[in-house]
Amino acid sequence: MLYLFYLFAAISVIAALVVVAAKSPINSVIALVVCFLSIAAHYILLNAQFLAMVHVIVYTGAIIVLFLFVIMLLNLNSIVEERKPVIVRVLSVVTGGLFFLVLLAATRQGLGTPVPAGFDPGIGLVHRIGTALFTQFLLPFEVSSVLFLSAMAGAMMLAKKDGTENVNLPPSSEPDDSAA
Amino acid sequence: MSALILISVLGVVLLYLGLFEKKSWLAPVGIIGLLGAIALFATGWNIDHALLGGMVVFDRFSTGFNIGMAAITILIFLFGKDYYAREQRHVAEQYALMLFSLVGGFLLSSYTNLLMLFIGIEVLSIPLYVLAGAKKQHLRSNEASFKYFILGSFSTAFLLMGIALLYGGAGSFDLAVIGRHIAETGGANALLNFGLFFTVSGLAFKMGAVPFHFWKPDVYQGAPTLVTTFMATVVLMAATAGFYRFIDITGMPPTLERTMVLLVLATLLVGNVIALRQTNFKRLMAYSSIAHSGFLLLALLTDHGQAAGHGTAVGHTLLYYTFTYSLATTGLFILFTIAKRAYNGAEHNGIFQGLWAAKPWLALCALAMFLSLAGIPLTAGFIAKYQVFLLAIGAGWLKVMGFGVLMALLGIYYYIMVVREVFVRPEQPVAFTVAPLNWVVVSVCAVGVLVLGVWPGLV
Repeated sequence: MLYLFYLFAAISVIAALVVVAAKSPINSVIALVVCFLSIAAHYILLNAQFLAMVHVIVYTGAIIVLFLFVIMLLNLNSIVEERKPVIVRVLSVVTGGLFFLVLLAATRQGLGTPVPAGFDPGIGLVHRIGTALFTQFLLPFEVSSVLFLSAMAGAMMLAKKDGTENVNLPPSSEPDDSAA
Repeated sequence: MSALILISVLGVVLLYLGLFEKKSWLAPVGIIGLLGAIALFATGWNIDHALLGGMVVFDRFSTGFNIGMAAITILIFLFGKDYYAREQRHVAEQYALMLFSLVGGFLLSSYTNLLMLFIGIEVLSIPLYVLAGAKKQHLRSNEASFKYFILGSFSTAFLLMGIALLYGGAGSFDLAVIGRHIAETGGANALLNFGLFFTVSGLAFKMGAVPFHFWKPDVYQGAPTLVTTFMATVVLMAATAGFYRFIDITGMPPTLERTMVLLVLATLLVGNVIALRQTNFKRLMAYSSIAHSGFLLLALLTDHGQAAGHGTAVGHTLLYYTFTYSLATTGLFILFTIAKRAYNGAEHNGIFQGLWAAKPWLALCALAMFLSLAGIPLTAGFIAKYQVFLLAIGAGWLKVMGFGVLMALLGIYYYIMVVREVFVRPEQPVAFTVAPLNWVVVSVCAVGVLVLGVWPGLV
């Protein structure tokens, strides 16, 4: 188990470095996928199966595909090196350094924390989450279907192309036509 | 609970009716469904809390609010029959989205768990983001939709942050547990305090309290008038109910109390003062709605929780206030649509000119509703404000109440300005065409406002 952890930790760190260092945005995004997948592997090592799956579906699936789409639509795969002003570079170094300090402090404090008594290591298992969803949180779970249904109907309504026959009518046929 | 299911299914049914192009069926089917929901609420309010997983409770307060919201939605649907008469596309979707939004409103008035608060706010808002942009060819409508969506998402993020902090402080999403923790720590726990602050910010956004009001004028102006009516009435009722549920359980620790006082003062001041300068009627109504949410917040401020045995009176006042406000606003927006058509789409306050000469009865109705919004005696608006001020006196907020009275007097001015236009005789007579159904709804609203003003015990 420990070796697996070191393996995945090494993969995620190297992939993260590649994300920053890669010249081509496409390579960068592919490295990001690798980074996310190795983080998902960490979740599985921590017994959090559900989190791992959601992570893969949402980040690696949806968000990365979105990134790729944007890159391809904007045709960014050529190397674009932008010169940033000095002040921006200085500020980003300061910000990054401060964030690093915060992380360092948090890790230093956190590493020694013992697992609290009564902590159940099986809390992230899929069947436990399923049981909670279908017993204690059944009502919110069901009601969220109304949310998705309305989002779907609304998206259809806004995205659907209207035919031309409605547009050609004189303005007075609009129920309340804005003058502005 | 069965009413919730009924309304959700009703939305789907309306979507199917739209698929089969049965446009003339939409409003009648929707109204029948809503009547059924009212009946179900009235009969099923004492359902056991535990059956619903401790997530929602249907007590007197939520039943009253739910029936009120459903009744206002029926009035809006009656208005929709004429409003959508010449619209061919996406009518079914708009009715269905309003119903879905109403489901969110029902949840907001009855949640006992912060998870349900979050889902309720989302179910309420997401259909509204779409509805605000329902006039796809109009830039203002697009702007309203986009603005509402971006700002609404931010406010939801605040709310979620607050809920997370409250969970961190109390270890539970359950309102009763959180209330117990706040009472034990006496408002000294920083985590809980920040949680309260962020959650109240998110809720105040939905009510349009200053400084979270910037979306309201633009969205009210840009959205189609029917949707504006829905937002100004049902959504305000839902947001108020949700706010009350939350405030009632916190027992108002001192930090929250200070935040609330600031909210009340800022909302009353900004809402009333900026309304003085509005020439566009929809923007005027937006600022009027901000001002009214200031009075609602004043009532909420006096709520020191169920422990003080006080919450019921506040809840009743809020219901009475929002319901009568919604009645008057619905009627006025219908009159606005009628006048707007008569003036070829103009939206300034002057479009009410000639109403008295052409339709005396409608002009009298407009008078009654404006006076009710302004809070003149013999109308429901007066009783509502009076009850709020009584609560404020009872809780010892004398200075805040004095400020509220001052602002209420200021508010009379801008309503009277519009009333004056109603009775001005224009150079050439204006032809107002009024659909019979609209005439009925406006009359119902105006008579309702007067009847509730004379016999306030009916709500």
